[in-house]
This record gives sequence, C-alpha cells and structure tokens, in this order.
Amino acid sequence: MSPQPGGRGRSGGKSSDGDKGRGGDRPRGGFFRRRRVCKFCAEKIDYINYKDARLLTPFLPERGKIQPRRISGTCAMHQRKLQTAIKRARQLALIPYVTD
Amino acid sequence: MSTNRQYELVYVMTPESSDEQVTELHNQIEQIVQRFNGTIDKTDNWGRRKLAYEIKHHREGIYVVETITGGGDLMKEIDRRLRVLDSVIRHLVVRVDEELRVADRTRDARKATQARRRTARGLPPEPQPGEGRGDGDQDDERGDRMEVQR
Repeated sequence: MSPQPGGRGRSGGKSSDGDKGRGGDRPRGGFFRRRRVCKFCAEKIDYINYKDARLLTPFLPERGKIQPRRISGTCAMHQRKLQTAIKRARQLALIPYVTD
Repeated sequence: MSTNRQYELVYVMTPESSDEQVTELHNQIEQIVQRFNGTIDKTDNWGRRKLAYEIKHHREGIYVVETITGGGDLMKEIDRRLRVLDSVIRHLVVRVDEELRVADRTRDARKATQARRRTARGLPPEPQPGEGRGDGDQDDERGDRMEVQR
C-alpha cells in the first residue's frame, strides 16, 4: 500500500504520514502493538505433537500455566489442540505442571 | 478380526533400570502385541531424559515410544501390565490414527486450495524456490508476519 494523496478516505487535516504501510489508523504516539498471528497457522503445523517439548514450551510462561489465546495469539482450533498436547506432555513429565 | 487402530505408547522407566531391563520390557510388550494379533510399527528409545518434575523421587527417566497397531483390548492389557510394574514410573497410551488422519486431511486441503489459487493466477501449482511467500491471501499481514516468525 503506497500513501497516495487522499487514498485512505481521509481528506485534509494533517496528513503528512510518517508511518507508511501499516498502522495508519492507530493513534499517533501510542505504542505499537504488533499483530499476533497463530504460530501453527503461520508455520503450517498440522499436528501438534505432544512429544515435542520444544514446540510447547513457548506457550508456558514461568509459572507453567497454559498461556491464554488473547496473549499468544493462537487461533481457537490450534489452542484446543495445543491444550490437549500440553496436558499429555505434562503427564509424561516432559513439561511441568507448576514451577515455583 | 479385531479392529485396527494405531496407538502410541510412551512409557518412562526408572533411571536405575539397565539396558537389559529395557529390552526385556520391550520384548514382553511385543509378546502381548503378538498374542492379540497386533503389530509394533515403530520403536523409539529416547534414552535417559530429565523429568520436568520429580516422580517417586526420581529426577530422570528412560523414555521409550512405541507405535502399535491393534485393537482396544490389546492396549487395555498393556496398560494394565504397565500399571503393575514398579520399573515403569509413568506411561501413556494415545490413539493417534484419527488425529493423524485429520492432520493429513487439513494439509491436503491446504495444498489443494493453494494449487487452485495459484493456477487461477496463472502460476504453476507448486511454489517455486526463491519465490517468497506466494500465498496471495495474507496481503494485509505480510509486514507483521516477519516479526512473528523467528
């Protein structure tokens, strides 16, 4: 997307866009929250393997709880599959239930 | 004829158990599988691994993964046997055939849509090497995706 004059439907005003390309409708000065994308969709992982602890650990914060979707950005389908995978891996002591 | 389902059996043995004990347990399982007309498709010995938490005061365990095709009664018997053994500190039986089939189906569906979209745009159905991300359906996220992928 190239900044054309009046291309965004916003006419007039201070339209000297410093931020080209993205985040045009975000408040200026506010911090930029990057858009979260489901890791499994982006990397096209179809089967979330419970034996692969390295795949699962990014979704476990320090405490060892399952990271909610609103933070990790995982889509609903993959969060469900991730949940079962994490619970299986916990039973096998591959990842912890709790860490203090 | 018994039903053919694919299962994954993972068991964790105590760190004190020797290699002979590991192979002996494997042979025992193999016998049970044969008795129930099943097959062991794959055996994977991960060896000694640190446990994420202590189980019966053990800090490590010997992990073995077996992929078994057979019926539910077979897995029930194996489950019962492993439950009794003291040398096995943890075990898990998971039926995987349906999950893998679902994963295959989603992968095939994705490939098919990709091929269809690409041919509609006059491109060869498979992405060529060095083409970059050529999906064409994530145009608005492209800038952000680069940050997310490590």
